[in-house]
Amino acid sequence: EQTELSPSSRDKKIILLPCKTPPSCEHVQLWLEARKQYESLQKGK
Amino acid sequence: MTTLTRQDLNFGQVVADILCEFLEVAIHLILYVREVYPSGIFQKRKKYNVPVQMSCHPELNQYIQDTLHCIKPLIEKNDAEKVVVVIMDKEHHPVERFVFEISQPPLLSISAETLLSHVEQLLRAFILKISVCDAVLNNNPPGCSFTVLVHTREAATRNMEKVQVIKDFPWIVADEQEVHMKEPRLIPLKSMTSDIVKMQLYVEERAQKT
Repeated sequence: EQTELSPSSRDKKIILLPCKTPPSCEHVQLWLEARKQYESLQKGK
Repeated sequence: MTTLTRQDLNFGQVVADILCEFLEVAIHLILYVREVYPSGIFQKRKKYNVPVQMSCHPELNQYIQDTLHCIKPLIEKNDAEKVVVVIMDKEHHPVERFVFEISQPPLLSISAETLLSHVEQLLRAFILKISVCDAVLNNNPPGCSFTVLVHTREAATRNMEKVQVIKDFPWIVADEQEVHMKEPRLIPLKSMTSDIVKMQLYVEERAQKT
């Protein structure tokens, strides 16, 4: 059974944020280096 | 001429689609301009008929998409008062906040042509302002990260919970550390008023970043 919120509660302002965090700069940097290595290997073939 | 009214079933959805597409471009551009990630992951694309920088990192792109997918139902119902891109230092304290203040004015009727061309023109001006905002902001310290905040009302979160992706991408109420910035410098970037949406973008910058 659902309980109706009171008008004041319904109007309450809140600020939300995601629980998950985006990939870190270090993580992205490693990915970038790996991609560059892969691309240079592909070119060398 | 095709006309749309606020009562049209898909009107809110159209506005939300337009705004979320814009916010996606804006977030990528903010991350590039403010050097949150290495410039090597960004590629030049054309959006709103102007060049922009978009990330090609799959995980980051998915994160931004999931974030906006959850915010979209709030925008659709005119329940997202502000969407804020927060750049944080290593200690997770905000150094910059890009605040998008959004409101949807009451609408009687509008032509579909006007809706698309006029709004696109206005959004282009926002993109151009973001792309040069580094000229008016101080450098950020190394090792920054980011998050996205949404200012809404408690009752509106029910609309978010209906979204399928929310199960894998839950949201929480922000605590003081994520929100509060001591004596920020306010830099207005752009505002727009159209028949379908009013939006204002400003940056709050921490006085001492290091």
